[in-house]
Amino acid sequence: MADTIKLSVNGVEVEVQAGKNLVDAVAAVGIEIPHICYHPALGADGNCRMCLVEIEDGRPPLVPACKTRAVEGMKVRLDSEKIKKIQRDIMEFELINHPIDCPICDQAGECILQDYYMKYDGAQSRMRVPQVVKGKKIDFGAGVVHDQERCVLCARCVRFTRLITKTGELGIVNRTDQARVNIFPGRPLSNRYSLNVVDLCPVGAMTSSDFRFKQRAWFLTKSKGICHGCSKGCNIFIDHNREKYQDDIIYRYRPRHNEQVNGYFICDAGRMTYKQENEKRLRTPLASGQQADLESAINALKRRLDQAANPFFVVSPNCSLEQMHAIQQLAAQKKATVSGFSEGYIQEGDGDDWLIQDDKAANRAAFAVLGIDETKEVFNSALKGADLVVNFGNDLSLSGVNNTSLGTAEMAFIGSYANSCADAAAYLVPVASYSEDSGSIINVDGVLQRYETAVKKNVPFPNMLSVIRQLGGGLDDVQAARTSLGNTVEAFKKLDLQNIPAQGLALTASEVGNVTA
Amino acid sequence: MSNRAELIESGKPFAFDAERDAEFERLAKRYPNRDSLILPSLWLIQDQQGWISVESIAYVADRIGTFASQVYEVATFYTMYHLRPMGKYHICVCRTLSCYLLGKQQIVDYLQQELGIRPGQISEDGRFSLEEVECLGHCGSAPVVQINGEFHENMTVDKFKELLSTLK
Ligand code: SF4
Ligand code: SF4
Ligand code: FES
Ligand code: FES
Repeated sequence: MADTIKLSVNGVEVEVQAGKNLVDAVAAVGIEIPHICYHPALGADGNCRMCLVEIEDGRPPLVPACKTRAVEGMKVRLDSEKIKKIQRDIMEFELINHPIDCPICDQAGECILQDYYMKYDGAQSRMRVPQVVKGKKIDFGAGVVHDQERCVLCARCVRFTRLITKTGELGIVNRTDQARVNIFPGRPLSNRYSLNVVDLCPVGAMTSSDFRFKQRAWFLTKSKGICHGCSKGCNIFIDHNREKYQDDIIYRYRPRHNEQVNGYFICDAGRMTYKQENEKRLRTPLASGQQADLESAINALKRRLDQAANPFFVVSPNCSLEQMHAIQQLAAQKKATVSGFSEGYIQEGDGDDWLIQDDKAANRAAFAVLGIDETKEVFNSALKGADLVVNFGNDLSLSGVNNTSLGTAEMAFIGSYANSCADAAAYLVPVASYSEDSGSIINVDGVLQRYETAVKKNVPFPNMLSVIRQLGGGLDDVQAARTSLGNTVEAFKKLDLQNIPAQGLALTASEVGNVTA
Repeated sequence: MSNRAELIESGKPFAFDAERDAEFERLAKRYPNRDSLILPSLWLIQDQQGWISVESIAYVADRIGTFASQVYEVATFYTMYHLRPMGKYHICVCRTLSCYLLGKQQIVDYLQQELGIRPGQISEDGRFSLEEVECLGHCGSAPVVQINGEFHENMTVDKFKELLSTLK
């Protein structure tokens, strides 16, 4: 437990963590100090003055809370007339030249200006002169579209490119009421994390060309999820909505704070992987090469599997721990070899020293923990003798295995996304993808994380575990899989897989490296 | 205030000439933080080509090793940096208190009439540009005019008439 200190806010004593600034310290106990330019990942800039608070007996008596460390015995006042007037004045100042085009603004509903106006201002405009006109829908590159008129010049976006990505594409140019955010001509946003400025922007000045005008923020259900774009496993919000007479689809991913994994940000490529959840999906079940309904396809595959002399299971490094475990159990029962061969998911040299990883699979670390072989040798030799290959979502074409090299074996594919392996399958069972399912994965740093079902399709795809059970597997559901994992896998014996903390569980090196057969 | 946010391309690449290059290198040794070179470098550009173009900002940013956006910020913040070509003779008339009281307006009126341009404009032949500026720090000899950086003190319309004839 970190050190705590006592201070008073509006005359009421509160106990807060030591070493934090006032904004963060009292936010932790549920007291809001309005702030615009401050963001914990970017530090205090002190430019907006919205966070000014009074310190009784303090010198100076008026301080920006974002730049002031909380100390023992401090007497903070937020409710004095003076502070309320300052807040009103700052809001009026921010709104002098604001276009107030909320009805067509993407940010409406999650906008600091709207929220603070309702909470701290509420006054009529006194402006009787024409507003300053600035640029609208300026293409900043990397899918970021800027509206200079909505900008409150908090410099969060500028600081992001200077302090975090260190690419410095953005600046605040000119001055007074002509000041605006801009790129230098010919040097647009060109870093792989650019779209974070859209989330950082407290107003609707930074918009994503991908999301622009697609949905009103208040219609979106904001579910927690984990990005499967690479082995980092960044925490995300899956923002989805079922429009009238439509299916539940995803409109965007946004970063979700997790200090242990991704901090406040995600990469642009990962952010866009929501598209494959909507679009790249397998939909039509196949039985012996014929279109079939789901039940018949699963039953046909079960019969085929029961007859197979030498079945071979291929598993994707994106399968969850629970799925892999169920696959292993079924394989043991059917005397099938299991391979996680998937070297093509690794793009050597693509990763950086921050979030983006070479390995574009979310759960490869589980192979080692569960003892799933991923070598080419085992894959090739198992393939040679096999008469039926049951592929659990592994896109082998990435790893240079084309359909002809699969030889005479018959192919079954149980997965979510279309690829050439699915094209070649005689048996096809489309299953729920990670955004529609619950599971646990281990990221590149050995952090065990859990995701829950976010999207609920009108006609849900079956989840992979239930398909495996219908093929003869013994695990009823994720709970059963977790219990079984806890009982049989050395690394999980001491852990409670049913209750993984929200920020994930950092496994020790020995746990991650532990190979059980 | 005018909109100084738009930069203009000159259409040709920029590099310091030998003299400015040497000066840049001399200054570089002086500052522990290379970002400090932004202001003097912008002066060097203006000295060399009269105004500050997109190309020259990019050049200086790369030379210093800083972000072009940061040099862009500085160039647009300070009004004494010219972001477009000025007249061959750039006339700055001080409009702050002392000069104001001692008749800067007569001078401005005269120039407007004589050159056919208002403050902020450039004459059609490209010879003159006119600008009203804040205190030039020579209040003791107000009103003060600066032409291409050179001071002319205790100015009157008559003196200006004489001066203009030498500037043709
Ligand atoms: S664009 Fe948004 S983040 Fe950037 S300075 Fe303006 S308001 Fe702040
Ligand atoms: S770094 Fe990896 S996990 Fe994180 S958002 Fe990007 S692709 Fe997704
Ligand atoms: S949040 Fe403190 S000054 Fe902006
Ligand atoms: S007021 Fe004109 S030089 Fe100072």
